[in-house]
Amino acid sequence: MTMSRFTVPALIVVAVVLPLATGNTYLHHLLVLWMLFSLLALSLNIIIGYIGELSFGHAAFFGIGAYTTAILGMHFGLPGIFGLFVAAAMAGLFGLVIGYASLRIEGPQFAILTLGFGSIIYTTTNYWVDVTRGPMGISNIAPLGVGGFFEFTTAIEYYYLALFLVAGFGYCCHALMQSRTGRSFIAVRENASLAASLGINVFRTKLLAFVVATAVAGVAGAIFAPYLTVVTPEVMSLHYMVAIIIMVIVGGRGTIAGPILGALIYVGILELLRATGPLRMVIFAGLMTLSVIYLPGGLISILKRKIHIGGGVTDQPPKPEAKQ
Amino acid sequence: MDIETILLIQQIMNGLVNGMTYVLIATGLTLVFGVLHIINFAHGEFYMLGAFFTFFASKLLGLDYVTAGILATVAVASLGIVANRFFFWPLRREHEFTLLLSSLGLALLLTNGGELIFGADPKYISSPFADGIVAMGPMILTQQRILIFGVGALMLLLLYFFIQKTTMGKMMRATAQDAEGAALTGVDIRRVYTVTFVLACGLAALAGALVGPTAMIYPTVGSWAVLKGFIVVVLGGLGSIVGALIGGLTLGVVEALVGGYISLGFAQAVGFAIIIVVLLWRPNGLFGVARRAG
Amino acid sequence: MTSLSVNTLTKKFGGLTAVSDVDFEIGPGEILGIIGPNGAGKTTLFNMLAGSMEPTSGTVYFRGENITGLRADEVARRGVARTFQITSLFPSLSALDNVRSATYRTKRTGWIASMFRTAAYRAEEDEVNRDAMDALDFCELAHHAHYNAQELSYGEQRRLEIAIALASKPALLLLDEPAAGMNPEEGQRLVGMIRNIRDRGTSVLLVEHHMRVVMGVCDRVVVLDHGVKIAEGAPTEVANDPEVIRVYLGREAVSA
Repeated sequence: MTMSRFTVPALIVVAVVLPLATGNTYLHHLLVLWMLFSLLALSLNIIIGYIGELSFGHAAFFGIGAYTTAILGMHFGLPGIFGLFVAAAMAGLFGLVIGYASLRIEGPQFAILTLGFGSIIYTTTNYWVDVTRGPMGISNIAPLGVGGFFEFTTAIEYYYLALFLVAGFGYCCHALMQSRTGRSFIAVRENASLAASLGINVFRTKLLAFVVATAVAGVAGAIFAPYLTVVTPEVMSLHYMVAIIIMVIVGGRGTIAGPILGALIYVGILELLRATGPLRMVIFAGLMTLSVIYLPGGLISILKRKIHIGGGVTDQPPKPEAKQ
Repeated sequence: MDIETILLIQQIMNGLVNGMTYVLIATGLTLVFGVLHIINFAHGEFYMLGAFFTFFASKLLGLDYVTAGILATVAVASLGIVANRFFFWPLRREHEFTLLLSSLGLALLLTNGGELIFGADPKYISSPFADGIVAMGPMILTQQRILIFGVGALMLLLLYFFIQKTTMGKMMRATAQDAEGAALTGVDIRRVYTVTFVLACGLAALAGALVGPTAMIYPTVGSWAVLKGFIVVVLGGLGSIVGALIGGLTLGVVEALVGGYISLGFAQAVGFAIIIVVLLWRPNGLFGVARRAG
Repeated sequence: MTSLSVNTLTKKFGGLTAVSDVDFEIGPGEILGIIGPNGAGKTTLFNMLAGSMEPTSGTVYFRGENITGLRADEVARRGVARTFQITSLFPSLSALDNVRSATYRTKRTGWIASMFRTAAYRAEEDEVNRDAMDALDFCELAHHAHYNAQELSYGEQRRLEIAIALASKPALLLLDEPAAGMNPEEGQRLVGMIRNIRDRGTSVLLVEHHMRVVMGVCDRVVVLDHGVKIAEGAPTEVANDPEVIRVYLGREAVSA
């Protein structure tokens, strides 16, 4: 099987038709969540999959985007779709500062450092009641509007907006992997000192990746808040931090289809497991662990054994085992 | 002494005791990282299990607190063998992200399994030392808190001698430096994995059994424990036991002071603020050595 | 104009002086060898030239520009390529992708151009592929272009490293013990390759332990001992220098 040039257009057509196949608004809601998480996971994938660092703080940037639109709406009236740009800039700015401070450090220390920054942003959001209204969050967030002509109100409309952004950002990632910039990302991931010896500024490359990733996470948050009409600090909690990482790695880091599939699995499996009641999270954790143990390259690696999807982490043969 | 000074010393003493808990939690975490290069997200769950096993051993089996605590520690330490066998050992040659996610899966499994089996409502472990007061001048500590500090210090000492003096300890140090090289010189890597996890899980469980009577226990306490552990380990330097000791005590004291003088809410975040400052100053923590390339 | 000019370069670690007041020059199209027994300071000197270690004092000029203390990527962007003592590749990428990554320095179009598939982007990607295949061809690896780097044999991996360095089209190539671990046949092949690199107009600096390689290919040799330059000259001169013979006595015969 080879990936035909029709595969991606066909998948997009399916995604466009999908919400029309059902009138069930709850299913529409799940589709919106899937697409927003896909965007979020694709953005984290730039960090995890392309430059090979683990960030635990990603949910914080999602939250910054969400709070930006919420606060803009609350204080300055309807920001409209332009709120997305402000949210991207805000999250990207935080990303620039935090990335600048922490990207000189790598590996586990970097992961914990981002966890630290994320937790501080979470705590601040909880306690800075004047601005964020604290743990109660901000409710009655106005819907996204386009200069008075159009307002996003129904789930289907938000789904199409998010789908458009996922497709657009997915294409950007694809273009990235075929560019000199993308090759420098992968070079930094694979061997930073060799990359430097080829003229690649390792720190700036990582910082670029980090800022792009955090800005896009901000956009996802900026849609999430007006869609739910409410935002609380919980969007930045450990629960979300971990959930995004699960989506990227279980789906398949370093690929474009992987994080989208990971988001689908995350939303879908948790929904299907609702029937199991209290066992839900136990079964979910079990399934997740099994998938990581048996498919370390992510679920997408089942397909990738036959087809190659843009610049992914290739399946590595096992390193020679230490003799025992 | 005026009341301000007494209060300050009391805060510091409380901080040191809390800090010793962090030390016990972090030592296992740093051991697993230092020897096996694994970031174990499930480490806090063994703390949770230690507390709950103690609770149920005294409640259901009618054992006294000390026996229950020892039994719980041994039981959780043995669980370490099982955890290693299924969640870590099979993945030892995979990418570090894979191992991390496997440990995350184990953590979710244990938290949610714990909630299912133990119930989500908080529980109290009763201990004969919980209400006994020891006065040191104007300062007071409960006997339980002195027990925490004493047992914690003793365990660190024992661990130190184990690692420095025994054959197994030498094997662990060799593995820490170069796992493949150690394997070639005849170190049984599989046993090193097992022993490291037994020690780490046992220490976490012991911390749970000791701290249980001073606070409520609930199944999600593991994520609290592992976050504290991470802060301490990164603060002190990944893989350094001395670092875990200094880092843990420092965190305990700073948290107590911030909680006492500024705000209890920010006391939770202050640990992260400290590691941000420390890591920007010393990327490998206070006592860390540079990470091996590759 | 000289390619590289090193003046009173010194590196101290605490009280220990690893490299002391070393001077030398490399002319355009010249092959210079740096030899010396273990611990002579060769690696420290090499790292200072490549920008991975900052000198304590002294200067390094590359084509008339002061590059002392620049970072590795800054040195590389000026046209100095290097290899590493321990094999250093992008292990899970194909040989071709390894070399394609190395064309970074000489290319300009980036992410945005790729999104819009501009004419400049397409033209440059063709160039990237051509340069990459050229470099692989030169190192006799074209037939392995689609193998993962980690699947190649040791000798092939070392040649791939040189291909990576060459794909960045350097004016000066720094080779850190390129013959380490090679058998005599591979060593001979390497000598031929280094000559060909020079014939393409690239100056070469070679830090090496293997005397056969150094004597066979270098125009000039600098000898270090305990961080100090003790001799400099044509290979035959240096091999007969009494000081050099003394330093190497009982270790590795100079003529070996």
